[in-house]
Amino acid sequence: MIHFDQVSKRYEGGHEALSSVSLHIEKGEMVFLTGHSGAGKSTLLKLITRIEKASSGQLRVNGQILNRLRRSQIPHFRRNLGIVHQDHQLLMDQTVYDNVALPLIIAGEHPKDVTRRVRAALDKVGLLEREKYRPIQLSGGEQQRVGIARAVVKKPAILLADEPTGNLDPGLSRDIMELFSEFNRVGTTVLIASHDLGLIARLNYRVASLQDGKLMSTPFEGRRS
Amino acid sequence: MKHQPPKRPVAKKPVQNTANRRRDSATGNRSAWLRHHRDCARDSLLRLLRSPVSSALTWLVIAISLTLPTLFYLALSSLQAQTEQWQEGGQITLYLEQGLADEDGNRLTRELDARPEVARAYYISAEDAWESFQTTLSLSQQSLGFSSNPLPASIVVIPSQQNSSQLEALQLIIRGLPEVDDVQLDLAWIDRLNRFLELIYSVVTGLAVLLGVAVLLVVGNTIRLAIESRKDEIRVIKLLGATEAFVRRPFVYLGIWYGLLGGIAAWILVTTVAWWLRSPLTAFLGTYGLEANVAWLGFTDTLVLILASIGVSLAGAHIALQRHLKDAEPR
Repeated sequence: MIHFDQVSKRYEGGHEALSSVSLHIEKGEMVFLTGHSGAGKSTLLKLITRIEKASSGQLRVNGQILNRLRRSQIPHFRRNLGIVHQDHQLLMDQTVYDNVALPLIIAGEHPKDVTRRVRAALDKVGLLEREKYRPIQLSGGEQQRVGIARAVVKKPAILLADEPTGNLDPGLSRDIMELFSEFNRVGTTVLIASHDLGLIARLNYRVASLQDGKLMSTPFEGRRS
Repeated sequence: MKHQPPKRPVAKKPVQNTANRRRDSATGNRSAWLRHHRDCARDSLLRLLRSPVSSALTWLVIAISLTLPTLFYLALSSLQAQTEQWQEGGQITLYLEQGLADEDGNRLTRELDARPEVARAYYISAEDAWESFQTTLSLSQQSLGFSSNPLPASIVVIPSQQNSSQLEALQLIIRGLPEVDDVQLDLAWIDRLNRFLELIYSVVTGLAVLLGVAVLLVVGNTIRLAIESRKDEIRVIKLLGATEAFVRRPFVYLGIWYGLLGGIAAWILVTTVAWWLRSPLTAFLGTYGLEANVAWLGFTDTLVLILASIGVSLAGAHIALQRHLKDAEPR
């Protein structure tokens, strides 16, 4: 599903954020990406979401070779990804419902389906009764769950998360990770960047570790669903 | 459930024929596209009305910028209607050879009258001229000290065209006629008036272009601020797979609304000013014995004004989007 082949990313000014990374994540797999800050986790995710373009090597995501993607094809490519951010990136002037509906509106779904699917996604993260609220009225954990609902509302093939538990206490973090596991169990490919090693260790998934832009190890094959 | 997205039926019936599926998806896309246009138009208008003071400032600037050239245009149209009234002033008087018979004079008049560049020609016999001269001065022939009529017969020619080069061509033809002794032209002032009007037209056109650029910049700047304030939102929706057109659409509609409201406001301003100037202008022109003919903005002019306003605002929005949307790429 996500295939890095000798991928490097050099920024202008010569800084090499990733050097010859080869990483293969199969369909339906759930993988954690770890490493200290500045190791290249964010860069790796930005390459997958095509915010950045690889300097060399080949990156294939969901069957598409990203280096060959034309500008006009990028939006349609991104619609197959669900992205969860550390700061959730919700639109603060819109309701929880509108935030979650956004990917469906962008894809031009029919309003009837939008309502049904938004409710289903909110139900999944346990926030159905909060649909009329504004994100600012919710707690940090709830906001993150709205972000997750928005990421999964279109049933994407791939779910990416960048430090999804970065601002949450351990209890809430476990709940969030449990949510990701649930999506993985129904076949979604999941890649989570996190430095919460304690939490990762308790979950039995494959871990890819970055250090100074190099992939250190993919030590064991985690459980597959 | 007419516009069901293709996903569900396809999932249920995987062997559905592809042509059918493509058509379903095309109608689905089109109705989604129309829906987004409608939603954007409505949301942009609501957004604009939610901050009435700042948006009113923008469309008032648009309105004032458009009012000035439109008023000049109205004044010019009025003036042109006026010069048509004065057309008769551009006459040519032909003094015929002394002793030319009235029949010859009348024949020549008919010939001139038949020419396309002549609106009207009429003959004044020597006797008629002498009579009206005496009547005007209330004097008799004897008291003037003339033993006989000293005046020649004449033909007055009123050209159909006031264009100076055509007038000069006509003048050359007339001078070549053997029966004509002398030609008196009353053309110089028409020439001057025409040139003056041309000058004013150029000034008004220049002014309109300049103020059009002002509207462009004002709308461009307003849209730039709108983009600026929604930068985070733009980043988010781009990451969620929004196309360039999707991102631009609300701002394009914002431009259309500013243009429409500015155009309507300009129409109101122009009409108010024209109404306000109507009576002093009538009084002023009346002292010259002229009939005031203040033009109003007709249906076509109004349409042109509003469409121009929308067009320029749209151009401003496009320039702003071209320049500033690049800054809102996801990070």
